[in-house]
Amino acid sequence: MQRESSAGYITRAPRSSGLADVLEILLDRGLVIDAYVRVSLVGIELLTVDLRVVIASVDTYLRFAEAVNRLDLRQVDDSRSVPDLFEKGGEEIAETKTKGAVEGGMDAIKEKIGLGGGGGDDDDDEDDGNSRSRSRSRSGNR
Amino acid sequence: MSRFYLYGITRPREVPERLREQGIFLIDREGRAAVVSELDEGPVEATRRNLLAHADVVEQLHEESVVLPARFGYILESDDEVLELLALPEVEQLLERHERTCELTLKGTYEESVLAEVGAALNPLRDAYRAAPSVEAGIALGEAVGEGLAERRARDQALVLDKLRPLVLDVLTSEPAGEFAAFNAALLVERNGVEAVETHLEQLAARMSPPLHFKLVGPLPPYSFVRLQMPAVA
Repeated sequence: MQRESSAGYITRAPRSSGLADVLEILLDRGLVIDAYVRVSLVGIELLTVDLRVVIASVDTYLRFAEAVNRLDLRQVDDSRSVPDLFEKGGEEIAETKTKGAVEGGMDAIKEKIGLGGGGGDDDDDEDDGNSRSRSRSRSGNR
Repeated sequence: MSRFYLYGITRPREVPERLREQGIFLIDREGRAAVVSELDEGPVEATRRNLLAHADVVEQLHEESVVLPARFGYILESDDEVLELLALPEVEQLLERHERTCELTLKGTYEESVLAEVGAALNPLRDAYRAAPSVEAGIALGEAVGEGLAERRARDQALVLDKLRPLVLDVLTSEPAGEFAAFNAALLVERNGVEAVETHLEQLAARMSPPLHFKLVGPLPPYSFVRLQMPAVA
């Protein structure tokens, strides 16, 4: 069932393997039966709205600007001489990598509905202990 | 009188032991069956555990045959309500439609290097920011990057879905979540058509990655293709 993709850019999971996979479909999809009562779902409507993180904040723009600047510098670096690279190296290592916003969003949601709680199960969303999902890293396949 | 939590609707059959042990059972009526468990008084909370349990029940039953998964959180207050629900003609229609279907969810995500590709077209703004990295220059550049990313996202989504469309019965897209999200699509496919989607996706990945990554989940029950909205009958 699972197959390796030569490029390594496909994550394949035969079943939903964590909250990240099911949250949206369980709350936003599925059989809707208007005639019956859906109870005790306080906060859920808000939550599904929160799932859609929009790129319209000053903070995001500034981060994008900085990232474009930085990524571009890196390309320039490639063509520079070796001594230059060594001089420049320290700065780049000091820079932190931008984290995927989806994960950040999910964390916020989990907090909101009191899921997860501690850091102990942070990883569950993408790769549960018993999950059949497999994420292949680029570095491993190149 | 019993109250029931509704997981979904299926055809009458044997419930796997693992689910029976969790209190899951079927209530049948004329070739249709509600997948339920008995509930005590009180609310059902949208906890991680409950959400995952719901998904687990419908997904396990779907492995063998059709399941119309219910949205999370439905409670039926009596046997009569269950039977009423099963009697709806729309339920039978949906069961027939999904006899041999499944859903695949496909998410596309960019890695950060997409910003360099988008930014490559933004020379004057980028140079201005580099020369004088003020907040204003940063916002101007960042906004342009955001727009470029939105265009890129629309283009990539169209490209991917055009390629997959001949292989699927239906597609439902939704707003992607996250700055680096490219697209979210639910694909309705024949159970025996999953492999063809995988093959095509690998070809797409060969062309579009990096910076685009794909995540394909399924075969799942057809969560996104069971709309059943009606006026209240009660």
